[in-house]
Amino acid sequence: MTDREDAITTEALTKSFRTRKGQVDAVNGVDLRVGAGEIFGLLGPNGAGKTTTMRMLTTLLPIDSGRATVAGLDVARQPQRVRETIGYVSQLGGADELATGRENLQLQGRLYGAGLTEVRPRVDELADLLDMSGFIDRRVKTYSGGQRRRLDVALGIVHQPTVLFLDEPTTGLDPQNRANLWEHLRSLRDQGTTIVLTTHYLEEADVLCDRLVIVDHGQVVIEGTPRELKRRVAGDAVVITLREGEESSERGMALLGQEPYVREISVAGDKLRLYVEDGGAALPQLLRILDHEQISVRSMNLSEPTLDDVFLRQTGRSLRDTGPDGDAPPESEVAA
Amino acid sequence: MKIARDTWLLFHRYTVQMLRNPVWLFVGFSTPLLYLVLFTPLLKHLSSAQTGSSATVIDLFLPGILALLAFASGMAGGFGTIFELQAGVIERFRVTPASRFSILMGPLLSGMVMMFVFDAVVVAASAGFGFTIDWGGLAVLVVLLGLLMVTMASFSVATALVTKDISSFAAIINGLNLPVLLLAGVLLPISLGPAWMRVLAHFNPLYYAVEGARALSIGAYSNPAVWQAFAVLVPLCVVVVTWATGVFRRAVA
Repeated sequence: MTDREDAITTEALTKSFRTRKGQVDAVNGVDLRVGAGEIFGLLGPNGAGKTTTMRMLTTLLPIDSGRATVAGLDVARQPQRVRETIGYVSQLGGADELATGRENLQLQGRLYGAGLTEVRPRVDELADLLDMSGFIDRRVKTYSGGQRRRLDVALGIVHQPTVLFLDEPTTGLDPQNRANLWEHLRSLRDQGTTIVLTTHYLEEADVLCDRLVIVDHGQVVIEGTPRELKRRVAGDAVVITLREGEESSERGMALLGQEPYVREISVAGDKLRLYVEDGGAALPQLLRILDHEQISVRSMNLSEPTLDDVFLRQTGRSLRDTGPDGDAPPESEVAA
Repeated sequence: MKIARDTWLLFHRYTVQMLRNPVWLFVGFSTPLLYLVLFTPLLKHLSSAQTGSSATVIDLFLPGILALLAFASGMAGGFGTIFELQAGVIERFRVTPASRFSILMGPLLSGMVMMFVFDAVVVAASAGFGFTIDWGGLAVLVVLLGLLMVTMASFSVATALVTKDISSFAAIINGLNLPVLLLAGVLLPISLGPAWMRVLAHFNPLYYAVEGARALSIGAYSNPAVWQAFAVLVPLCVVVVTWATGVFRRAVA
């Protein structure tokens, strides 16, 4: 086995649903390549096709067209082998509320074919790994959100899967529990498990994922490591708010757009938004130029690019504000 | 082997869940007893001359209750499925290598065993009302009721998986329950009704189950109603269970 093996590959994966409004192409030609032993993120707004993609990879939904392999197994042709190899934690979790955590885990382990004598020590191991010892023998009904989510993850890994799929693993968790879960997922990865997760939290994708794709309208918009993606956005973002009206904004844009280190510039009302190579070095220069032309500046704001900038660049919309119609309020969140 | 093991694991899981739900247990025991206590007295003055047979009223009525329980508890099976669908439980099982047939049958068999426990209570109580137990007939009756229950429950669970939401599922089940029950002569023999009802009843599988149950409860094995009941229910059960397993196998949740 080489360590650059692909845990998951998909080629031109598609899935469409019939609804009352007609056909919806939920997944429309997705190509993925997930390396073994990495945490891979599917990032995108609601309805982008993240969950549908994951449900096809986990054999829960038939594939309309295209091909998918998980751990070298063809998902459409060898669903049973795929099921033995993967773990899946859905958004809902789905633990039995009237049973204890331990009972849930024992049943799950046995459904994967293990005998009770093998399952018992494994459950103790999981209780240790995910800090569940304090509540594992209580009924699930009494669990807090964070405890439940840990049990859900434990249910997904009880049979030591090669690939673990997590659909929105931290939705509804407070920051403390979210950070804890991230730690657990990293240690799983360090033990060799490939982890694929969907999320609409930018910070989560940024901090947790080794590599990610941004998905929108059923298609992969961009792919890479969080760092690469942010670098590709063209450096740092600078927002300059001017004291005077639109006329000086236009003038400022024409002026600054000539500078070689300014890669991109746009104007919205009294605000100039620029992408520059090196924000720290560019700020004093920009200020000097504007000052020289007597365009007075109210405020200046430098930010390192976020994955939201990446999404904004690729789709023209902000991931944070994508409502049902996908419209983002223009520039409102960058007020200095 | 694998199927048997998976079915047992899921059977065990559902049984434990049910036993931990006191409300469900209470309703399960009280419903059949309520029929017995609140309905039988109304039949006191219905003489055997009117019902057209020599059987006593309780002999006619009890097999009807048993068939009704099998039918109704089967038809209600899908409500649990809807709940588990929405809680993500079914998806959790479907992503394991567990046999699809077992995922369907585990809860059904568990419901069936619980039904037999309730049945035993009603039969014992009816003995107090003057019902004479024919043990041989009762043994065959158990098989008939099990078939009926599994058929209706598979139908109900598959319908739940297809509709996926509680309101359309409930509308279908309730819409079917009433006409099927009334046209089967569950509580009173359909032979009391007019000719058109008797004709319509012959298109209703439950009618055959009820007639068969009546014959068996008095030990009348040679009554054609017995073989007719099995001739209708066995193929129906095979068809419905096959369909339901197929629904499970395809992506539904």
